[in-house]
Amino acid sequence: MIRQFKQVGLLVSMSMLAATAQAQAPAAAPAPAPAWKQGMPDNMATSTLAPLAGKLTATKAADVPLDKIKLPPGFKVEVWADSVPGSRAITQGDGGKYYVGTRPLGRIYEITDNGTTRTSRVLVDKLNQPTAAYKDGSLIVMSVDKVLHYQNIDKNPNVAPVDLTAKFNLPPEQHHNWKYIAFGPDGKLYVPFGAPCNICEPPSAEYAQIRRYNADGSNMEVLARGVRNTVGFDWHPVTKELWFSNHGRDWMGDDTPNDTMNRLKVGGHYGFPSCHQGNLPDPDVKRAKPCDGIEQPVALMGPHASSMGVKFYSGNMFPAEYRNVLFNARKGSWNRTKKIGYDVVMVRADADGKNAKVEPFMTGFFNEADQSFWGRPAYLHQMKDGSMLVSDEQMGVIYRVSYSK
Amino acid sequence: MAFLGAAILAPLFSAAQPAPALVTLCSACHGPNGNSQLKDVPSLAGQPKIFIENQLVLIREGMRDIAQMKGMLDKVPDSELTALAVHYASLPIAKPTAKRQAALFSRGETLSQEMRCGICHLPTYVGREQMPRLAGQREDYLLYTMRAMKANQAVGRDSIMIASLYGISDEDLQAISHYLSRLAN
Repeated sequence: MIRQFKQVGLLVSMSMLAATAQAQAPAAAPAPAPAWKQGMPDNMATSTLAPLAGKLTATKAADVPLDKIKLPPGFKVEVWADSVPGSRAITQGDGGKYYVGTRPLGRIYEITDNGTTRTSRVLVDKLNQPTAAYKDGSLIVMSVDKVLHYQNIDKNPNVAPVDLTAKFNLPPEQHHNWKYIAFGPDGKLYVPFGAPCNICEPPSAEYAQIRRYNADGSNMEVLARGVRNTVGFDWHPVTKELWFSNHGRDWMGDDTPNDTMNRLKVGGHYGFPSCHQGNLPDPDVKRAKPCDGIEQPVALMGPHASSMGVKFYSGNMFPAEYRNVLFNARKGSWNRTKKIGYDVVMVRADADGKNAKVEPFMTGFFNEADQSFWGRPAYLHQMKDGSMLVSDEQMGVIYRVSYSK
Repeated sequence: MAFLGAAILAPLFSAAQPAPALVTLCSACHGPNGNSQLKDVPSLAGQPKIFIENQLVLIREGMRDIAQMKGMLDKVPDSELTALAVHYASLPIAKPTAKRQAALFSRGETLSQEMRCGICHLPTYVGREQMPRLAGQREDYLLYTMRAMKANQAVGRDSIMIASLYGISDEDLQAISHYLSRLAN
């Protein structure tokens, strides 16, 4: 339930509505704008931009227009798993097992790879936007309001989960609180907590953060603040620093602000709500010198592009020039009159984040001319042979991208 | 744009006719040709295909919990749900016959505009994609479902609607329901 924390950019018509309500029904409180619409200026009041529909039904590999996908020379793509609607983040277990989360469908899929074909089953369902992370034979499943621990699922595929929810102290708001989670090189579980609005002063300090925990939920530490909504991160193969994507706010025009790629500085502030992309003051939440002391992004990932899964390439299959390059899936924009994204891009940068360049890698899901799209790349996973898995949340399939000379 | 989009998506729309037994089952409550005659039961006729399809999946999965439909869609495959969605989306919604009360209708019209329902549901309130048609829906169902959303009991539905109705008075919900149910768009 979205409570009435301090909303900004409240609409003129809303105050008119409040006046009407007071005249006729004194008890009624004015309705705040829904979270995704907060901050919408009056000049966009007739906009018909709205979040795009997902597809919740299964798609067979044969119905995926694979020939439309474009990759650099030498790379090829195949449908690695089909009929897994709503697939998002992928975590790899042992014995050919992969675990894949979803949002509205509420499922975690378990995909078993026997080397040539894949089978899948639903490990758990009826959860509120669940995702999973695997480490040392055990699986953590985290939804907006629940944490489940499948201990030694590698040896016992039907193990009953232990509920660890109370240990993690999850805040109550739902919006932007789907999570990408992953275990770091330090063995800790990294968990983001998005801002529960488009633009607002968060209702409490527990939001717009990146935290880490021990796997059992103990020893929580807040690592970064002012992070509006990170939904993907990975650790640099050389520096072991965490790099994370972050979604910019909506309703600030077609070209501002950008989604960003960032390096984690422990204790750093990344600007939400009063500064975006390191240098752009917010028009609604105003502060003096809002961008002073704000961490600067490594790269701008495009306005409203929906910068999602992040993966540094550390394998040996792709050519040497791809080593340590950051791959980023951009699910594609809705809050923009001309769509962008719907692709996988590469960020080539120095290990300290300098001299970043963003280049296309996997395209063809989107037709610029008629603004139609058929697929939405969401998450990436590097397989042990060095090939790359890419989940397509729209099609509900997972692609495998491989390279050979 | 719409034409090209439709051409790309054509395979998704070429679903077979739904099984007659399933249509009969749906009709028992949702009415002949998808126009409901039962209190608090929505009409399905003229709803966007994706909206019906998504709701059927969420009901089957138990994410959207409707007591009267519990178990009814167990093991019904996606292809059947899609066929049902295509079927009901293609049926015309019946012209509203209930009398308009001028003051209530006008109040509902103003509120709907001020709350910007038309940004998502379109200015004619006929809905699109995952966002349902409101025009011509049963008044009692509109009121029932908006009350459930306002009370955060619309489990499995989009939290955007919960937020959109936060704090609104029941009188206002009644006016909006009266207005939308009497629109012949």
